[in-house]
Amino acid sequence: MISFAELALNGIVSGLVIGLAALAVTLVFGIARFANAATGDVMTLGAYAALSGAGLTGSLVLGGLFGAAAGAVVGLIGYWLVFRKLGGRSSVAALLASIGVAFMIRAVMGVAFGHGQKVFPMPMVRPWRILDIRVHPNDVNLCAVVLVTLAIVFAILHLTPIGRQMRAVADDPSLARVSGISPQKVMMALWALAGAVSGVAGTVVGIKTVVSPEMGWELLLPAFAAAILGGIGHAGGAIVAGIALGIVQEVATPFVGFTYKIALSFVVLLAVLLVRPKGLFGTVAGAR
Amino acid sequence: MEAYLIAIAIVSAVYVLLALGLTLQYGMTGIINFGHVGFFAVGAYAAALLAEQGWHPLPAFLAAGVLAAAAAWPLGMVSLRLREDYFAIVSLGFSEVVRLVVTSEKWLTKGVQGIPGIPKLFTGLGVGLPNSLAVLAVLLLVNGLAIYAMRRIVRSPFGRMIEAIRDNEDAVKALGKDPARFKVQVLMLGALLAGFAGAFYAHYIGYISPDQFVPLVTFQIWMAIIMGGVGRVSGALAGTLILMLFLEGSRFLRDVLPFISEVEMASVRLGIVGLALILFTLYRPGGIMGEARRT
Repeated sequence: MISFAELALNGIVSGLVIGLAALAVTLVFGIARFANAATGDVMTLGAYAALSGAGLTGSLVLGGLFGAAAGAVVGLIGYWLVFRKLGGRSSVAALLASIGVAFMIRAVMGVAFGHGQKVFPMPMVRPWRILDIRVHPNDVNLCAVVLVTLAIVFAILHLTPIGRQMRAVADDPSLARVSGISPQKVMMALWALAGAVSGVAGTVVGIKTVVSPEMGWELLLPAFAAAILGGIGHAGGAIVAGIALGIVQEVATPFVGFTYKIALSFVVLLAVLLVRPKGLFGTVAGAR
Repeated sequence: MEAYLIAIAIVSAVYVLLALGLTLQYGMTGIINFGHVGFFAVGAYAAALLAEQGWHPLPAFLAAGVLAAAAAWPLGMVSLRLREDYFAIVSLGFSEVVRLVVTSEKWLTKGVQGIPGIPKLFTGLGVGLPNSLAVLAVLLLVNGLAIYAMRRIVRSPFGRMIEAIRDNEDAVKALGKDPARFKVQVLMLGALLAGFAGAFYAHYIGYISPDQFVPLVTFQIWMAIIMGGVGRVSGALAGTLILMLFLEGSRFLRDVLPFISEVEMASVRLGIVGLALILFTLYRPGGIMGEARRT
């Protein structure tokens, strides 16, 4: 029973990461209206940037900020060079282009940093024991990082004018436009925000596990699954669904084995599409 | 030299078969299949495992195609009724799960070690040139049949229906037809072709392992059909030719530039496929020969 509690706790950590990635996916899906397959590789880029940043400055916090900044910059570059020009085209064009962006980022990472696995220099710490459950201080710190990131994102979305404009575009692009909201400004804010969120997510994954060129791509499917489970375009839903998915993955690991973790999110994805395509919190219009 | 050209021709013919399947699915019907390599893998593993069991190639090949098509059915049923990008996600996930399954189920597929020693076809004719030529002839025959069938389909009521679905699904619905049913059928037909392609591939290469069935393969085929011109059989042929020139060319490039390691070359190849996907969707969605029309 106790080991299950530990697994569930572990699941919350990985679930928060999936939630962050799903948040990036769902923001783009809700506002730019396509499934951005480059999300995973922007995460990878964020992790490498954080690794370099931490190596340069000797501080993990500064490294994490490097990761977020790198994600935001690449998000903006991707928007400016590629997705901006695809506005008004079918979603296939944007989907394919996002795959192209994903491949290019991964190729650059592979050439620049090699294909070996890298780890963040983390001090070894003894886990705390709370009610006989082992809790790793690192995990607690990572959770705090994710929660702070989420707080910032939700504050931007709900407390700032640009956030209100982003939500308006997500609700109804034409109505937002005739209300005098500049689509370009909203899109740039969106891509910077989604990129920064992906960068932080990648950094957290990198600290928790290892950094390799394929790490982000492997998280893409769980991120998509959580975004759809939470309801496309629903930021809070993405987080809740991510945490749920993370816990399910970890708790199921003793039964299905380590490699089938990703397959589990596929099963969840199929089940959601079969039973409730609009997700937990979404609207019917989003799914059809 | 002949042996090399025949080898290239055989691999090209396998790729053409894949490209034809995707042309049927995306080019003609508008299904965004991002998991083509999954059906290819199902066909390859089915053929390899059945050959191990001592099956005759003919029923084994049929089984490989049918299994791939059968795998497509539940995917289509679940997600082709929903908005089109959901199927893109589901199919991408499917191909990754296929790779996970063949990696994990070591009792069946030997995991990452892969299945070696898959017998070559037509070895009775003599190993080397004669049996390779026979394989090529059969592949060309299968390709010819597939092209003939696709041309027939285009002119049939079914073909008009799927093209109408591609152009305006809502209009088709308004006429009282069920687009999802036709899309599932097309998906299965394309998967059938991919399954056959996998069976030929497994028997020709002689060794299959999970890392041959990565999503990059899917998007190489996408790159081929977009470069050649979406929705046309001639486009699939031209695009596959370009793809093969690119793949083989990058191999020769390594001979010329030996300081680039194999893993770096893999990254470069990945980057070029990515760049091609971006540039073509941006500037030439109709392919090299097509005009710069907007999709």
